Amino acid sequence: MTPIALSVNGRKVQALVEPRTHLADFLREHCRLTGTHLGCEHGVCGACTVLIDDEPARSCLTYAVQCDGLAVQTIEGFNADPIMQELRTAFSREHGLQCGFCTPGMLIAARDIVRRLPDADARRIRVELSGNLCRCTGYLGIINAVESVIAARASKPTAVTSQAAAPPPAPLQAFAPTGEVARASMAAPTPAPEEAHKGWTRFEESFVVARPPQAVWTIFADIPAVAACLDGVELTEHDASTAKGKMTVRLGPIQAGFSGSAVIERDDRALRGTIRGAGSDRGTGSRTKGEILYRLAPEAAGQQTRVFVTVEYSLQGALAQFSRSGLVLELGRRLVADFAANLNARLVGAQMRAAPRTPFNAGRFLWSWFIDELRRRFGR
Amino acid sequence: MTQGIGARIQRKEDARHLHGRGNFVSDMILPGQSEVAFLRSPIAHGRIRRIVKPSGAENQVFIRADLGDVAAIVAPATVPGYKLSEWHPLAHEKVRFVGEAIAMCVAPTRAEAEDLSEQIEVEFDELPVLVDTQAARMESTVRVHEQWNDNVFLTLNYESGFEAKAKGAPVVIRREIALARQAMVPMEGKAVLARWDDRTDQLLVYASTQVPHIIRIGLAQFLGIDQGQVRVISPDVGGGFGYKCILQPEELCVAWLALKFRQPFRYVEDRREHLVVGANSRQHQYRLTAHADERGRLLALDADITIDGGAYSAWPFTVALEPGQATGNLPGPYDFRGYRCRTHCVATNKPGFLPYRGVARTGVCFALELVIDAIARAVGREPWEVRHDNLVSAADMPYDNVARKHYDSGDYRKALILAREKIDLDAWRERQRRGERDGRLIGIGFASYCEQTAHGTSVFSGWGLPIIPGYDQATVRVTPDGGLEVRAGVHSHGQGMETTLAQIAHEVTGIELANIRVLLGDTGTTPYSTGTYASRSIVMAGGAVANACKALIPRFLAIGAHLMQAAVATMKYENGQIMGPRKSVSLRDVAEAWYLRPQELPPDVDLGGLEATVGFRPKRDTGAFSYASHAAVVAVDTEVGAVEILDYVIVEDCGTLVNPMVVEGQTLGGAAQGIGTALYEESPFDPNGQPLASTFADYLLPGPTEIPAIRIHHMQTPSPYTEFGIKGMGEGGAIAPPAVIFNAVNDALRSLGVELTETPLTPRRLLEAIDRAKSSTQPRVKNS
Amino acid sequence: MKAARFDYLRPGDVGEALAALANAEGAKILAGGQSLGPMLNLRLARPALLVDISRLKALQQLEDAGRTWHIGAGVTHARLEDARGRLSGGEMLSEVAAAIAYRSVRNRGTIGGSLAHADPAADWPLALAALGASVNVRGPTPRKILVAHFIQGAFTTTLAADEIIESIDVPKLSRAGRYGFYKFCRKTGEFAEASAAAVLDPETGVASIFLGALRGIPQPLTSLAQQVAREGKIAASTEAVSQALAQSVSGLDAVEHSMATAVVTRALMQVLAP
Repeated sequence: MTPIALSVNGRKVQALVEPRTHLADFLREHCRLTGTHLGCEHGVCGACTVLIDDEPARSCLTYAVQCDGLAVQTIEGFNADPIMQELRTAFSREHGLQCGFCTPGMLIAARDIVRRLPDADARRIRVELSGNLCRCTGYLGIINAVESVIAARASKPTAVTSQAAAPPPAPLQAFAPTGEVARASMAAPTPAPEEAHKGWTRFEESFVVARPPQAVWTIFADIPAVAACLDGVELTEHDASTAKGKMTVRLGPIQAGFSGSAVIERDDRALRGTIRGAGSDRGTGSRTKGEILYRLAPEAAGQQTRVFVTVEYSLQGALAQFSRSGLVLELGRRLVADFAANLNARLVGAQMRAAPRTPFNAGRFLWSWFIDELRRRFGR
Repeated sequence: MTQGIGARIQRKEDARHLHGRGNFVSDMILPGQSEVAFLRSPIAHGRIRRIVKPSGAENQVFIRADLGDVAAIVAPATVPGYKLSEWHPLAHEKVRFVGEAIAMCVAPTRAEAEDLSEQIEVEFDELPVLVDTQAARMESTVRVHEQWNDNVFLTLNYESGFEAKAKGAPVVIRREIALARQAMVPMEGKAVLARWDDRTDQLLVYASTQVPHIIRIGLAQFLGIDQGQVRVISPDVGGGFGYKCILQPEELCVAWLALKFRQPFRYVEDRREHLVVGANSRQHQYRLTAHADERGRLLALDADITIDGGAYSAWPFTVALEPGQATGNLPGPYDFRGYRCRTHCVATNKPGFLPYRGVARTGVCFALELVIDAIARAVGREPWEVRHDNLVSAADMPYDNVARKHYDSGDYRKALILAREKIDLDAWRERQRRGERDGRLIGIGFASYCEQTAHGTSVFSGWGLPIIPGYDQATVRVTPDGGLEVRAGVHSHGQGMETTLAQIAHEVTGIELANIRVLLGDTGTTPYSTGTYASRSIVMAGGAVANACKALIPRFLAIGAHLMQAAVATMKYENGQIMGPRKSVSLRDVAEAWYLRPQELPPDVDLGGLEATVGFRPKRDTGAFSYASHAAVVAVDTEVGAVEILDYVIVEDCGTLVNPMVVEGQTLGGAAQGIGTALYEESPFDPNGQPLASTFADYLLPGPTEIPAIRIHHMQTPSPYTEFGIKGMGEGGAIAPPAVIFNAVNDALRSLGVELTETPLTPRRLLEAIDRAKSSTQPRVKNS
Repeated sequence: MKAARFDYLRPGDVGEALAALANAEGAKILAGGQSLGPMLNLRLARPALLVDISRLKALQQLEDAGRTWHIGAGVTHARLEDARGRLSGGEMLSEVAAAIAYRSVRNRGTIGGSLAHADPAADWPLALAALGASVNVRGPTPRKILVAHFIQGAFTTTLAADEIIESIDVPKLSRAGRYGFYKFCRKTGEFAEASAAAVLDPETGVASIFLGALRGIPQPLTSLAQQVAREGKIAASTEAVSQALAQSVSGLDAVEHSMATAVVTRALMQVLAP
């Protein structure tokens, strides 16, 4: 628990809060100011909009501890505010509310528009209110209400004039460009069309390792070595054909630790292998199953190896439940790319990449182990 | 300005919401209250092998076995062939969709309850997942419900004059049309708070529900306690739209906790839960074959409808409601005599289908209106003309249609003609011909529908549902100061019934609106009603309020006559005054006599006093049919796949208007949801049955820039069967928008040979259709 | 949807913030919290410690540094939006800021936080890459890196766990320079389906076009930019853009290609508008 002191609607409030308690819950449960509503708790619907130091903000995305020393104003705190009175009258007249759930946030956002954009037209009001969702009204009454308040205020002499429009710029002149900001293009991942497992996502990658196939094959038999090349993998136990452990996956701030096991099959003659695994992350309630097929083929007169990898996986639970599934695919691809880079580094004894992009604590430990291991094996 | 029927009165409910003083379930805290979180299934289909509660927290975590005698929710119906599902309040042996509640965790705060839910270990034996209705129908071994012999909840067959009418029709149009699965997304999700009250020996359940009396019946029934032991109070409700017209398993669970532990418990659904567990509506697939003459006159319609019913049938309306409404309402406002329809409602591993605003009619309107436009294109006429010629004419009212619906009144054609005028079709056609400077393509679309509202006993009893609506009642009571309290068992969650029911009471009693209070949503204080759904409340509760008020007037006159020492027969009642031949007394005088000075009452005074509870049912309860024509103009950006609505007109007729402002609000709000269905909203599932829209970043709800400034024009054709000729209208706005927008887009894309038939119209779907049309007409350079 | 437990620290200066990052397991910087907050509430992000830098004065500068605008990592989108008309040579910053999400998000969301988060659909990584902006990183070894190199993939940057973004240097456009920024969103304030930024400046010789909202990093369209610089409108036709995309960006399907062509063309139309 963390002590905080802040002003709520002009009143000093002191409290002990858990850092994870967001401002809306603090206002609703602790201050008993229940006019601030929670409609999504992920910053899209705007029902929880309050003022923090006079600026509209999502109280579901701000934690109460962050407001220590600040001034918070909720819908209950505007009774002396003339704009709010005008808006309330206008909302009622224009039928800008039905169930009333979005109304407090809508009013606070609307008041900000009236103050900040004194000459906003209906289109602008719509754009500016787009962070507040209403499921009942179809918005028209709300827009009309805000527009009418702005119009009424504009007819008063205090209205602020907007900035003069800038003179139109001259057309662009042709020129010879210098320098280059850009860097090389990287392929965007696309799922391979056919699917062996119903409902699984599949992608294929290949990469070249600067060692002959047999040397690579040997390394692939070395489960700790392979694990060491997979960022975020912690091996807890293993034998020749099974492995147990935990894999920590991070994508930006998202982190999941999948505990699970894998079964490994190898075909020494064909230089093909299969790894089948499954794991679950209790934290996000997510589960995954996957199968990695790899195949080695000689390149550069047998001095190099091309590793063909086919990854198929399914994901269940919270981590799977987003429409931007391309990101998970991107993550999978990146794991393979990192694996390739790590493997190459291991095999040719190069230093690992200067700055690992996803620095896992577990990964770091393995990295240092892996550098030692690689020196020992290849004697460089 | 008058305050009665027809007055554009500002709402009584506004003030509290505008000041942040609404009172929603989640706003309530009772002493000693605990919070509840549910552990929900991460998989779509599997057998539960083992559930391990976190050690030390065994008495804070509850699974199905702990609930003992609580019955599974079973929703019967007498429709032939309908199969029952057992929906346990917490998963029993199996999980059947992602998000199904498995365990219930109790802690002082919601965060701590969620902490607990993370520590529960569940082992599953996964089963093959049935996501697609066709696959589920074909599936020979995997069953959503083991005891069934297939995965079909219900198949309906209807036929009337089809073969004879279809025979030899010169124009035959076939289309496959589909609507995506959706969530209803009231801004407030489910919420329930329950406590045990020793004084009244009652379970007090505060629930965000449209149907408090139904919830009471259900809770008592499934908990196995006396009906009298349950009181359900529904306070402010942050939107319902159908989501809150059924008994929720969470309500049953939380009520059980309060009953068992005699302490208060609260559960508030969060948005992720809503989007995952609430992906429960709209998903229909159609195969339609329309038979028409050379002018586009519809002769016969053949339909094959598949509804993705999800895993469970909800109580009391059942999953049979949707196929029933689809089959019965597909013929729409049109005059034709040949109809054949097969409707399959298929069980899949998704949340069970619930009745969403418009119930099936958004789907059937979408399907049929697209076909009407296709017929018009085939016969080379303006779609609105073909539509017009097919609409039931005013002269034929009342009209019994091919699906045995009885259309009570209205001028459907006039609404369409007005819509055409208001949108100014000719000007847009001209602009369409000229082309847009920005290269976008203009399209104009129309759609017409009629909507069965306030249908009652005769309709619902035909389906044999567990709850059949009958007589709605209202209680009115004059207060000692001459004001009026109105109590009704329906509920209001945005519809403004605290205002409109007061307007009806004012219409009859003349009591100032400011002195009329409407109290709803409490089984302890209101007379019985099945509640608010099916666009019924203003017709049913409004009729009951009028009847109850009328019952009081003779009593006013009798007491007033006695106070003035004049004959009752010489009295008349006007605007709160009892007028005698020479003098008058006020209603307040009468009220004071009854309550405070009974010595002044006549000896034969009516012992009902100044309070009456009276019921209402329309003269004929097959439904008062509201109707509308919508018209829209869109601009389609064929490069990015964007659709902008440039203009949108609604001409609607819901009979006598009680409060035009409220009617417009309901219509606009419904239309906004319909626009969501058309362009934005979708709950997709991957082949594993994982829902892919669990946040508002994935599930796009239309915002202020997505909904145009819709223009509404009213017509008023009273219903011959209802009090004051009022028709219901809460759902109508949501019915036509997908049809009208797709017709407009298809009009815009006609030159490209593109016709879209699947909601929502995402940029990807649009661009893919354009791409397909291009590659079918000309060779195309492939992008590397 | 309540966050898992975390500890909270509001350091007094950047040094303290860095020390916290270096010493604490699972520490994570909290800037505006508008992207992190949802992840926390959904329990997808579970840091042990949040180090709140949103009030660090040292990260709030918005300074004219001669050839560049020097912008503290903690500067909010709203501040840049409201600086419209006062960011000579940096007008694009106000325009981009004003179109990010919604005002109440812009009031707290920061430019540094957006870069560190590196959402592929976000606006800053794209706009700042096109502007040739650099990130000043503080950590054990301070360093400066081009935004285009800083972002490495979806939600992935070169920022190490013990580093923070201190500021961003954005080269100014000359009076002759032009920019274009076009994003296509299914609804206002949502993630972009497709987006593009273009910056061409005859005086400085800068010519850059980037395509955003891909699954990974913003993609440069270098040769297209150079051609447009040399030839103007002729090189910016829909066909030319379509071909340039086909050559330099792989993995786009037909729909993505159509959208990408449109947003790049439209961004260029802004650049080339008379």
